[in-house]
Amino acid sequence: MNLKKTYSEEELVYLLQQRNENAFVYLYDNYSGALYGIVNGIIINNEVANDVLQNVFVNIWRKIESYDPAKGRLFTWMLNIARNASIDELRSKGYRDSQKNISIDEQGEIAGGITGPNIDDVGLRKVLGKLKGELRVLVDMSYFQGFTHEEISKSLNIPLGTVKTRIRSALTQLRTMIQ
Amino acid sequence: MNTQEYILSGIVESCVLGLASNEERSEFEKICARYPEVLEARIAFELSLEKKAFEYAVTPPPTVKTNILNRIGTAAKVIPIQKASETKPSSAAFGWLKYAVAACLVLLAGSIYMNISLSNKNKNLQANNKTLQDNYKNSSEELAAIKRDIQVITGNPNIKMASMKGQGISPKSYATVYWDTTSHDVYLLTNNLPIPASDKQYQLWAIFNGTPVDLGVFDMKKERLLIQAKNAQGAEAFAITLEERGGSPTPKGDMYVLGKL
Repeated sequence: MNLKKTYSEEELVYLLQQRNENAFVYLYDNYSGALYGIVNGIIINNEVANDVLQNVFVNIWRKIESYDPAKGRLFTWMLNIARNASIDELRSKGYRDSQKNISIDEQGEIAGGITGPNIDDVGLRKVLGKLKGELRVLVDMSYFQGFTHEEISKSLNIPLGTVKTRIRSALTQLRTMIQ
Repeated sequence: MNTQEYILSGIVESCVLGLASNEERSEFEKICARYPEVLEARIAFELSLEKKAFEYAVTPPPTVKTNILNRIGTAAKVIPIQKASETKPSSAAFGWLKYAVAACLVLLAGSIYMNISLSNKNKNLQANNKTLQDNYKNSSEELAAIKRDIQVITGNPNIKMASMKGQGISPKSYATVYWDTTSHDVYLLTNNLPIPASDKQYQLWAIFNGTPVDLGVFDMKKERLLIQAKNAQGAEAFAITLEERGGSPTPKGDMYVLGKL
């Protein structure tokens, strides 16, 4: 028997800000899959991805007071928490050691290869695959690996202004792709 | 400014995806507040991104949920739903059955198992039934309250109304004041007000000769249409400000809506 109530986004935010635990369980049940997909797109190791997702939801619960609907939708806010937590983990020393990953300086030389074959099929990365060569590398490095424009400019040896314009142009293409 | 060009520059995507610099983001927020077409473009992109993320959703292992609830201290309070099949009779309770005929043992154990299982199912059904009844009762009470509210504003020829329009801080806000010219009762309908932070409360003011008079603070209640305020008569205007929780003797916070009579 399904007695589950559905909440509008506005109600959900209101209840979460009132520390309503049932609303939090509802939030988890409804959004964990989509957010896990985001985390998985960045973190290859499943166990680490599980830990990151845990931190993401604990942070959502702790920071919900600071969510401001005027600045964006609830999902966008959570998506950014999930991405930031994943990038932090990805770039943490512990993770890099465990995955025997390459350092940032070496990244540029193999940038064409992105991060390995498996992860390209996960989540939003699938969409990314439709972008052409260099644009794809740029979005991958900035969105999925969290490099700043400056870092990308340095490692790929492209002027900073060009990095910015190309990423912007790649993002507008992405928008049309996901419409 | 050319909003179309701005929208097509990729700034919308880069802000939503969290790739913009702090400067770009705060400029973008200001522009969104000022140009509805930019805001629309932002929401449209957010929605398509959300849709994609849901298409690519991956169900996390169930332990993640348990761990999270443990960490935020919710687990103890969320009652787990017991599955009937998880409750099996303990073998110690049937010690004497060892001496019974094998066929009897199987039949009896089966029967006891069925009883326990059915009894658990029955308990679950009763619990569900109780929840349904409670939901129904709550809904009926909410509906009755809303009906009474509608009666207050439509069934009384002495009721007058004034709409309060959004002010600079929140142009889309909108609320309506109803008052009874004979009983002097004042009611408030919050058609559209942003949900305030938990340490803040909206406060309603009646304005007499330019002086605001407190008509009380109120919380946003989903289940009620109207909020009854303190009585007032002969006001020249009504306004709502956002104040510290508990209200203020004179308006100090931002004014969200104002309606002149």
